[in-house]
Amino acid sequence: MNKFFEWVERVLMPPMAKLSEQKHLRAIRDGIVSTLPLIIVGSFFMIFAFPPIPKLADKMSPELVGKILIPFRLTMGLMALYASYGIGHSLARSYKLDGVSGGILAMAAFIMTTMPLTMEEVGFVLPMGNLGGSGMFVAILMAIFAVEIMRFLQTKNIMIKMPEGVPDSVARSFEALIPAAVVITIIWIVRVMLGFDIQAFIMNLFKPLVRAGNTLPGVLIPILLITLLWAAGIHGVSVVGSIARPIWMVLLDENMTALAEGAKVLPNIAPEPFFQWFVWIGGSGATLALVFLFLNSKSDYLKRLGRTSLLPGICNINEPIIFGAPIVLNPLLGIPFIIGPIVTGIITYVAMYFNIVARPSITPPWTLPAPIGAYLATNGDWKAVILVIINILIMMAIYYPFFKAYEKQLLKEEQGKDVATD
Amino acid sequence: MIKVLIVCSGGMSSSIVVNTIKKEAEKEDIEIKVKAVGTGEFIDEVKEDWDLVLVAPQVRHRFAGFEEQAKEENIPIELIPPQSYSPLGGTNLISQIKKYL
Repeated sequence: MNKFFEWVERVLMPPMAKLSEQKHLRAIRDGIVSTLPLIIVGSFFMIFAFPPIPKLADKMSPELVGKILIPFRLTMGLMALYASYGIGHSLARSYKLDGVSGGILAMAAFIMTTMPLTMEEVGFVLPMGNLGGSGMFVAILMAIFAVEIMRFLQTKNIMIKMPEGVPDSVARSFEALIPAAVVITIIWIVRVMLGFDIQAFIMNLFKPLVRAGNTLPGVLIPILLITLLWAAGIHGVSVVGSIARPIWMVLLDENMTALAEGAKVLPNIAPEPFFQWFVWIGGSGATLALVFLFLNSKSDYLKRLGRTSLLPGICNINEPIIFGAPIVLNPLLGIPFIIGPIVTGIITYVAMYFNIVARPSITPPWTLPAPIGAYLATNGDWKAVILVIINILIMMAIYYPFFKAYEKQLLKEEQGKDVATD
Repeated sequence: MIKVLIVCSGGMSSSIVVNTIKKEAEKEDIEIKVKAVGTGEFIDEVKEDWDLVLVAPQVRHRFAGFEEQAKEENIPIELIPPQSYSPLGGTNLISQIKKYL
């Protein structure tokens, strides 16, 4: 088992760590994370539009539902647009370029891939279809394209320099002038003059990846990678998420769009709430179950740790228990920590595959207690609450023998200490 | 008065550690200001007036990047050992900080 941890530390961790340090991936992660408030608030309007109480839902007229959904359409529905700014901003910052210029340029590069239509009486309109989560990969690549052009021109010293004494903000906007001209002209030629549909091309390119993310292996691989990294003490979600989150975003967008259209069964199983509420109950590795076991431990240390970790655990914060127990580099607790979530992942996948439990479509704030989060995430399916409780019980059963063995080990040490002080 | 900046993944878990440090500092009568930030906010926050940066163990794979930024501001930077990073690790955490008093 120690060999195994050595393997994780030496073979698995360095490339994953490098990946999470990689500037573009970091920018993607930070950019998408910065849109989280909009996703959470926007998706709550979905709950108001389709309340989980049937009596209330029946009373709502289609007109009212349409009105309630407007904030959702202008947040989730434009998600890729917001993200493109965030990605451009953080990528530019990582190159020590002006963040605001990078963000605006990225946004322009993304929106330039959309062809405006003309409507009588209204004038020009932008079709929103690909500006939401479904356009996430387009937003990512266009943001990277825009900022890389900016950086290329900067390193080649091709820019308009303002004389000293010109206010910073003015100087910056002039510095971004040439990059903006280059970026916009290139995209204009490709998209408009040559008529090459950049959006369709990129979306088709990433389609197999998105579809794979919705399969059972596509669910289990991120689960396994995340717990393996955590077992070595590395924040697994933050590493794996930088690659997986764009996929989860597209899946989520498809589900929310289907829900807004009144679909009873949603197309995808595996947007991020699947992991958040049904697998990571109490944090990565579903450690809330372990906290419950600790509460009744005979070991004084584990009992104290259980008490102090209970409230954070209910809010899905589990660093106290991961580093306190510790689970990190501790084979006894590491095994159930890695195996358990695979079991609950499979159970949840099957339950949603056969539509026993509704598929997730809403993104509640991640610090909510899991049963509440799961209820909201499935747009008010009470069976989701049952599934969460079942998953907690399964995790307790999987942790139990390992917990007992570890407790025995600790008790020996604790008693040893008492003897020593006597 | 020592001013300590802690960086973790989202700034959530480190706020638990911040409380632990504050409690322990009170016990030992050490005047301290502690703040927790996520990795995204670090680049801006480190430019403020800090005496010490502590990096949470779960983001230690990004230590090199943080170190570079901290060095630019001439602030010492250290990794928090995994076993100290829990609500019960107060004494270890405070003795790590005390070296810089």
